[in-house]
Parts: sequence; C-alpha cells; structure tokens
Amino acid sequence: MKTKNATGIGNAIDRVEGHLKVTGEATYASEFKVENKAYGQGINSTIAKGEIIGIDTSEAEKLKGVLKIITYKNAEKLKTFDKERPVLATDSIAPVLQSNKVHYYGEYVGFVVAETFEQAQYAASLVKLKYKEDATARFILGQNKDKAYNPSEESDYERGNLKKGFSEADAIIEQTYNTPIEHQHPMELHATIASWNNGKVLVYASQQIVEDAVISISGTFQIPKKDVRVVAKYVGGGFGSKLNVERHLIMAVMASKMVGRPVQATVTRSQMFTNTGLRQSNIQVVKLGAKKTGELTGLLHETLAYTSTTQEFQEPCGSMSKMMYNVANAAVSERLVPLNLQQPFSMRAPGEATGSFALECAMDELAWKLKMDPVQFRIKNDTQEDLSQEKPFSSRLLIECLTIGADEFGWNKRQQKPRANKKGNWLIGYGVSAAARAAPFNETHAKVLLDLTNDTVTATLQMDATDIGTGSYTILAQTLSECLNVPLEQVVVELGDSDYPITPGSGGSWGAASYCNGAKSACDYAIAALKKNRNVPNDEDVSIAELLKMNQITSYESQSLAKPDSEFKKHSIFSFGANFTEVWVDKDTGIYKIKRMVNVGSAGKILNPKTAYGQVIGGLTMGAGMVIAEQTKVEPNFGNFITRSFADYHVPVNLDMANVDVIFLPEEDKIVNQMGIKGIGELGITSVAASIANAIFNATGKRMRDLPITPEKLLMAEVEDGVTV
Amino acid sequence: MNEKIKKNSFLTNQIQVSLKINAKNRSLTLDSRTSLLDALREHLELNGTKKGCDHGQCGACTVIMNGKRQLSCLTLAATCEGANVLTIEGLAKKDKMHPMQGAFVKHDGFQCGYCTPGQICSAVALLQEAKDGDASYVTADVRNISKELKLSEEEIRERLSGNICRCGAYNNIVQAFKEVHSADDEMPTWKFATKMQMKSAKRK
Repeated sequence: MKTKNATGIGNAIDRVEGHLKVTGEATYASEFKVENKAYGQGINSTIAKGEIIGIDTSEAEKLKGVLKIITYKNAEKLKTFDKERPVLATDSIAPVLQSNKVHYYGEYVGFVVAETFEQAQYAASLVKLKYKEDATARFILGQNKDKAYNPSEESDYERGNLKKGFSEADAIIEQTYNTPIEHQHPMELHATIASWNNGKVLVYASQQIVEDAVISISGTFQIPKKDVRVVAKYVGGGFGSKLNVERHLIMAVMASKMVGRPVQATVTRSQMFTNTGLRQSNIQVVKLGAKKTGELTGLLHETLAYTSTTQEFQEPCGSMSKMMYNVANAAVSERLVPLNLQQPFSMRAPGEATGSFALECAMDELAWKLKMDPVQFRIKNDTQEDLSQEKPFSSRLLIECLTIGADEFGWNKRQQKPRANKKGNWLIGYGVSAAARAAPFNETHAKVLLDLTNDTVTATLQMDATDIGTGSYTILAQTLSECLNVPLEQVVVELGDSDYPITPGSGGSWGAASYCNGAKSACDYAIAALKKNRNVPNDEDVSIAELLKMNQITSYESQSLAKPDSEFKKHSIFSFGANFTEVWVDKDTGIYKIKRMVNVGSAGKILNPKTAYGQVIGGLTMGAGMVIAEQTKVEPNFGNFITRSFADYHVPVNLDMANVDVIFLPEEDKIVNQMGIKGIGELGITSVAASIANAIFNATGKRMRDLPITPEKLLMAEVEDGVTV
Repeated sequence: MNEKIKKNSFLTNQIQVSLKINAKNRSLTLDSRTSLLDALREHLELNGTKKGCDHGQCGACTVIMNGKRQLSCLTLAATCEGANVLTIEGLAKKDKMHPMQGAFVKHDGFQCGYCTPGQICSAVALLQEAKDGDASYVTADVRNISKELKLSEEEIRERLSGNICRCGAYNNIVQAFKEVHSADDEMPTWKFATKMQMKSAKRK
C-alpha cells in the first residue's frame, strides 16, 4: 500500500495521545469521576489449603465508615465451575467468596467496603479468620513430578521417528532448563470503579480485552451481556495480567449491588503477586541431535509446569520447537501438576518467552559441541515450511535476520572459544538467538463516522480495541489518515468501550493486524458506498470531502469487519527475529552487565517505527529481566510467596538497560492480511534470555540453565567440560 | 483560592491541612492516615500523580515538593502543612508544555503512560539536582563534585532508576532527558535494513 500522506502508515509520528500522557490527563480505570463512590479492599487467606471455620468481623464493623464486610457467608451467589479444573480462558467466569474452601495462600476470603480508602484498608486488617488447615497442600513443582497429568490431546506432538533421528546423530545434547514463577507487574495496579444499577453493570476497568470482560461479568453474575458495559480508555500496561477479569472486579460489582453505591477497588502491589495472574515455573528438558555437518536429526522438548488446583492453564513452551527448524524427527510434550498456588495465566509471549530460552540455549550448546558457528548452525537448519502444520510460511526471513544482525553487531569479532575475550577483570562474551512468534489476525469490527463541516471532513473511528501502551490509538489514527487521505488533525480515535464494535482486544500479538485491518475495512466500505451512490468509478481519485458533497450529505456512518481469508488459513504465519548480545562478566564477583544488544525483526509492515521500536525495546527489557533478576519465590513450608513487593521482586530499572540497536526488515507479506501487518510486541521478548545466557557462556564457559542468572549462581557454577580456564 | 472545607461526618481522626498545589492554595479535611498521593487523587481530582505500588518502590507517585522530588505515597498529607507541591498537572504553563514533556512525546519516552508523570517529575527535579551538583551512586568522586553538572548517560540512568517503567521505555527516556539537559538531539536507534543488505543476506 502506498503512503498517501505524511501521517499515514509507515511514518514515525509521535503518539497521538502523547500529550495526554505527559500532562496527566489520560484517564485510567480508577480515575473516572463517579459520584458517591465507596472504597473496597480485598482480604487474603493466610493458609494454602483448608477451610474457614470462623470469621470475626466485630472489631472491623465497629469502625466509623465501614459499610459492608463480605465473606462467603453473605456473598451474592455467583455462577461457579461445573467441572473440575476447567481451562482458564480470557472470557472465563471468575467466581469468588462462594465457599469456605481455601485453595492457595493469598486467595480472597473477604472484601471490606468503607467510605474511605484508609478505612477500608484498616478494617480489612481487623477481620479475623480462623482456619482448619489441610496438611496435604503442595507447592513445590520439583517435588511433585509424580502428580503430573496430561492436560489434553494436543499436549503430545510427534513427527518422524525420534529414535531413528537420534541414532543418526553424530552429536547429541540433553539438558534441563528451569524458569521460575514470574509476575507481569504492569505499573498500573489492577483497578476498577464498578456500579450496579437496577441489574445493569457499568465498570471502568483495567482490561486488555473489553468484550471478554463483558462475557466474563455477565457469565459470573448470570445477567444478559447487554446489561454489562466495560470501559477501558487507557490501560497502564497489561503483559497478559489484564487479559481476563480478576476477582477484585467481581467483588467490586457484587459490593456495589449490596451497598447500592459505586465501589472502587484498587489491588495492592502485594495483591498483584497473589490475585492477578503470573507465569508459572517450568522445568524443560531439551534433547537435540545433529550430524557433523550441522543438520539436525532429532528434537525432543518436554515441559513440566504447574496449574492451580481450581483451573487449568498450560503455557505452550514447545510451540517454537515444533516449527522453528528443519528437523524431520521431533517430539514435544507438556505436562501439568496441580499445586496449591495461584492460578497461572499468560505473560508476554506465553510459550515462546520461556520455551525459546530452552530451545535456543540448547541450539547454542549443540553448536559448540559441533564446533560450528551458532549463526551458521541456525541458518543451516532453516526451513521455509512449517513441518508441524505441514504448511508453507507466508513469509520467513530468518536467514536475513541472522545475517544482517551478525553484520550490524560485528559478530565476526566473536571468539568461538569461551573466556578468550578479556579486558582487565572483565570477561567479554557474544551471544545469539533466533526468535519466532505467531502473528495471528482475528475478526475485527469497526465503525467510522464521517462529518463534513465547512468543507472539512472529521473522521471518527470507534472500536472496543484497547491501547495498553502498544500504540493502538496512534496506528489507528494513521490507518484512517491513510485510507481516507485526510490529515491526522481531522481524525479522532475512540477506543476501549464495549458500546463500540467488537474487536479481539489487545493480547497475543494480534492487536495491530486485527485493529488496523478492521479500521481499513470500515474506511473502504464508506468510500465504496459513497462512490457507488454517485456512479463514480472505483479507481477514480476523489477526496472524501468531495464524495460527501456529491452525495449531498454532511455525515455518513460506515461499519464493517475484517477477518482472515482462505490464503491466511493455507499458511503458517509467524514473525521472525534474531537477538545479539554482548555481556561483560566480572570474573571475581560474577556481576555482569549487558553492554549492548542488536535486535533484528521481521514483522511485516511496520506501521510506525517509533512505536514499534518501543514494543521491541520493551520486550528486550522484560527479556533481560528474566535473566538478571525476576523470580517469585515460594516459601517451602507455608506456600506463600516470599517476594511480595518491588523491593524483593526486582524488575529492570534504567541503569540495568543497555543501548540497543533495532533493525526492522522491509518485509512484504501479502498473505497475512490486506495491510501486510504482523505482530511485534511479543517477538521482542522471545529468545532474549537465551541470547544473554549464550553470551554469558561465551564470556565465562559456564552454562547457566536456571533463570534468573544471579551473580552468586554464576560464581558457583563450574565451567563446561572442554573449556580451558 | 481557598475552597470551602468539606465536613465529613464519617471521618476518623480528622485533620486539616493547608498547602499550595500547582500555585493554588488548597485546604483539606482528611483522615489523618491519608497520604499526599491519595489526597491528590481521591480528594482533589488530580489523578495525574499515579499509584504504582503505594510503598515508595516504583516512583510513579513522584511529585516535586518544595523544589525536590518527593514520593507522595510515602508522604502523609498531614505533614504537608504550608508545603509547595508541583504535580504533573502544574508543569505546563498555560497551554505550553514543559520542555521535558515535549521531549518525552518526541522521543516516545513511554508506552502505557502510567509511570510517565512520575518519570517527568523526577526528570525535571533532576535538572535542578544537576545544577546544584548533587552526587549519586555512580559519581566517581563524591568529595570533588562541581555545580552545573553535565550528566553522563550512566549518571542519567542511575539517577532515573527510582522510576520503574515496566513497558521498558528506558532508552527513550534517557534520550528525552538528554535533549533537555544538554541539548543532545540524538534520536532512537532503529533503522530499516537496506535493499542491498536484504539482497546480500539472501545470497549468502
């Protein structure tokens, strides 16, 4: 598609909502002006498994300002699960306070509503609960391997003959890679202002997918969907934690019904550890075999993870292993252990972020064993067909990513031998990894309102899409500017309201492609209809203002949708990338610095390089976090999280980050969708951890297979066999 | 301008506090436990100052109090009698944004925008700290430090490390700060691979 004006797609314009964000005017969930609101505060369990046998609310009730204390004893009846451990989806019901059973440490057991935030918080601390603990609680994944079960048929994948594959190999590696529990921790605390008004629900909420929030609320309260409205104008980060409705929101709606006033509930940062999703720990075994010449002959990737005892979620860690390389014999499996821990769910690039750590470290290990350059080893095993789906890729520029990245990074200066590049006390290492992340595109509806006043057209777009920092407002404004050929100043984008047409929301890297194609279809529909009315040939270039005049109208409303076509379904559709990292490791302390990174991404049409760059460096930062610090620790006796604040769950800060160069490939994928858009938000985090770990090996000769790689772990680790110190 | 003091019959331990916020005199009747952050957000409709952790660990609630950065979540409103508080809403002069606000937009120093007011308040206060010659964790020699510091990239990163950005816009934030601090007009380091690079990559 050619760019018609300087504000159309492909241009690095500033974010259209930028001025609102830098002046404090953007309105997040708990910031809407709602009269007469009360404040709610959740109470968390202090046991991991058992029953509540006594509740004493007397002291809390005596406090001035307390309006209601809700526990399972007086809670509204909600829809509960009708089978054991149902799969958690983005639109699942979220029952809460429905029984005296406790399933994990930190589960909500009560909710206090008061006139002020301070009163609600204090009153919550005064509610006394008595428990009968169940000693059969289990919280440690590694100690409960025997309880593993196979969650579904798709959890076992196999092609070729693995035994034969490994028998043909000249070199084999088999290793275990461990990743810890991680938390998404968007900066905006989950928050809501919920109102129940004669059976009609209005919630201002921090949600990634507005439509699914509506389904979840209506399902939980068993009320019609049309009676639920969800508004999420600005979402202060999500990273997966705001995909589904969490239970503070359900409690706020319930409380509003019970006290007859709107209720605001803001989850505390400590509750962001126990009540708003997490990435569970994984134990991954990868076995790879290859011939001397570098051709892979066998690939095995087994993952053991946990789910909660109440719902099921399986992170597909083997997803990249299935499709990445040209290996005829492969098997991927996933198993789950139910534990008395908080329910896991998606965190940025679920499957790829963690799975790629195992696969791409294993690739580096085998390359070293084969004495092959790890870039060449990957190129050698490239494939233009997705062997797991038996479909060609719509476009796969992995070789270009690796080759161009290597050039830009200065890969030729890398010493193949570990510990060979030294500067004073520093051991310097270079690492590489390859990345792939599915690029979905889902059915999306959009409405465009055209208004002609004084010869000037104003185009307003309405969709229930969200902008969670991804740049949706901006790329959609650019799409309208492009498709209607009007300047950006004449475009208005209105998002985040369930009154608007349905979109798949933000998540899974489908946002940009789905939203923009949906918006384009509404624009195209308007132009085509206005032309048809006046018998203007389709290819004739007439301005939108002129078209409205020709039709003798001053306003026009167009609604349409975009969805995948048959070509899309005939192909395997992924974004690809390559990461290059230079680390400096202090040989005496194990302290290391990520000095620089080069990231190459092939993600179809780059709608706005400025916001796309933001997505990539954000992914690199979170990927770096996986390596340098992030982990949620489980107390082995009581099952509570020891890490419960930013003081002990460390996320990367400004000083931790390196300078990065990001290179986009000018990819034209004509199959994926009309506009050639693929996602980039999750590609950015994929394989970053492996690239850093591989650089650490190149620097030190130590294979670090347990994340995070802390200095003490690095210092205590032995160098690999065959590395000279 | 003094506002009418609201009577709240349900308040426990009522306190009254008068302070200046964004050049306006404000008088508040509050629960004694109210933080400056909650006073701004829940009592004055100044929602620009954000609650990211309520524990002084993320920096989202940073305001400028009496010329210095201050974590409003760790500041009881009761202690702010007579204080002069500047929040993100007060940084722009009429419709003209503070240069730091403009630089954050130009360099895309944010994504979701939630940590942004805190980042900007920190960055604006840091300009003054550099002028005053304040030392930091990475200052090479704290005994020998001059006024009117030109901060290195490492210094900027360290001194802005109290503000967490989970979206990871750090590199852009550093560039935005540099532009205002030292008129260094460097732009983000993204580029497109050239046709030549694409062609030669394929051949290899």
